[in-house]
Amino acid sequence: MIRYQGGSLEAFQEIYAQLAPAVRRYLSHLAGRSETADDLLQETFLQMHRSRAAYNPTYTVRPWVFGLARNVFLMNRRAARRWAQVCESREDLPEFPVLPEAESLGSRDQIRRGIASLSADQAEALLLHHEWGFSFEEIAGMLGISAAAARARASRGMVDLRAALNNLLRART
Amino acid sequence: MMDRSPKPPEALMRAVAQDLKPVKPSQRPLRLAIETAPCALLASSLILLAIGIRGDSGILGPLMTWGASAAQFTLAIVLIWVAAHESTPAGRLPKGIVYSAAVAALFVVVAITLSTFWISPVGSTLRVGGPFPVPPWIMDLVCGIGSTAAGGILILLFSWMFRNSLAIRPTVAGALYGAGAGVAINAGWRIACPFPTLRHALGAHGTAIIATVLLGALIGRLLGNRRLHIGSKRP
Repeated sequence: MIRYQGGSLEAFQEIYAQLAPAVRRYLSHLAGRSETADDLLQETFLQMHRSRAAYNPTYTVRPWVFGLARNVFLMNRRAARRWAQVCESREDLPEFPVLPEAESLGSRDQIRRGIASLSADQAEALLLHHEWGFSFEEIAGMLGISAAAARARASRGMVDLRAALNNLLRART
Repeated sequence: MMDRSPKPPEALMRAVAQDLKPVKPSQRPLRLAIETAPCALLASSLILLAIGIRGDSGILGPLMTWGASAAQFTLAIVLIWVAAHESTPAGRLPKGIVYSAAVAALFVVVAITLSTFWISPVGSTLRVGGPFPVPPWIMDLVCGIGSTAAGGILILLFSWMFRNSLAIRPTVAGALYGAGAGVAINAGWRIACPFPTLRHALGAHGTAIIATVLLGALIGRLLGNRRLHIGSKRP
């Protein structure tokens, strides 16, 4: 990031190569639509470029870019005023990440349905920690909550996910 | 071996390549807040340089005159520090801290105003008036507009300093910068204002702080919308 701030195009390409897939999955989770995620991804990196001077090297790059992606999503949601539409589209279950911890509990589709049934706050904290590997302190900084609240959301999310998967399994048998 | 790492789209690369001038990395929020202190102190002190200290400073004593203003000024820097955190995507503070800082600012300003009035009730120390009495509403207007204008200048300065910030809630961040500016300016005006009635202190000076908060929120919102507008013009 420091090389990028110094004017290196290669450094930007490296950052994009390392972060774009995960950021796209995160945006896809937030937006609930993969086609919207592509647009938002491009906009995230464009905003990152325009605001590269705002990056402080003492922060880790990943949470900073994820926070920026969340910012871009929220700004777009606010502008488009289509939150309701986004919520409805969750029924479509797009490219929802599947937690490695949960893979033994059910099929990918079941896990996706389970995550979709969680509250947005719980699902976000759960995925940021278990899927993308952020610490609770990093999640707290991105979401504007305390580290304890981030831990509680992720933990409650996992409990609810297990319960949702158990219900699905019971319903099937 | 073929490189399978994802490549930025052509249009994005073009946009990035067009503007690759080196930039100076941002400082930590605390450092940014401290850097604003000299300007805030200057803007806050201008009124003291212009009309001097209030007539009843002897009754109030150094603690209630300079000490209370120093405490208020420190609180203003804390508000700017909270606002700088709010403007950082990966460094936001919990909402509880943000709202507590705002409530603490309100509480401290009101408590200092009430204590000042309690120690030195208005009357004998008025310097305005004399042979040509000035109606109170004119003093209200002068202090209200004057301190709002001084706060407005600080807000414009903050807007420039934090123009690259990436606040998720730009209106909240702007309101916090505005509160910081308003409280900092009031720290200077409270020890210069020659019309220290409780109604004037809470009414005119309080309204000026509220006005700077609203102005900051408005500028934050405008800057946030502008960024959104620029962002929507995708390459």
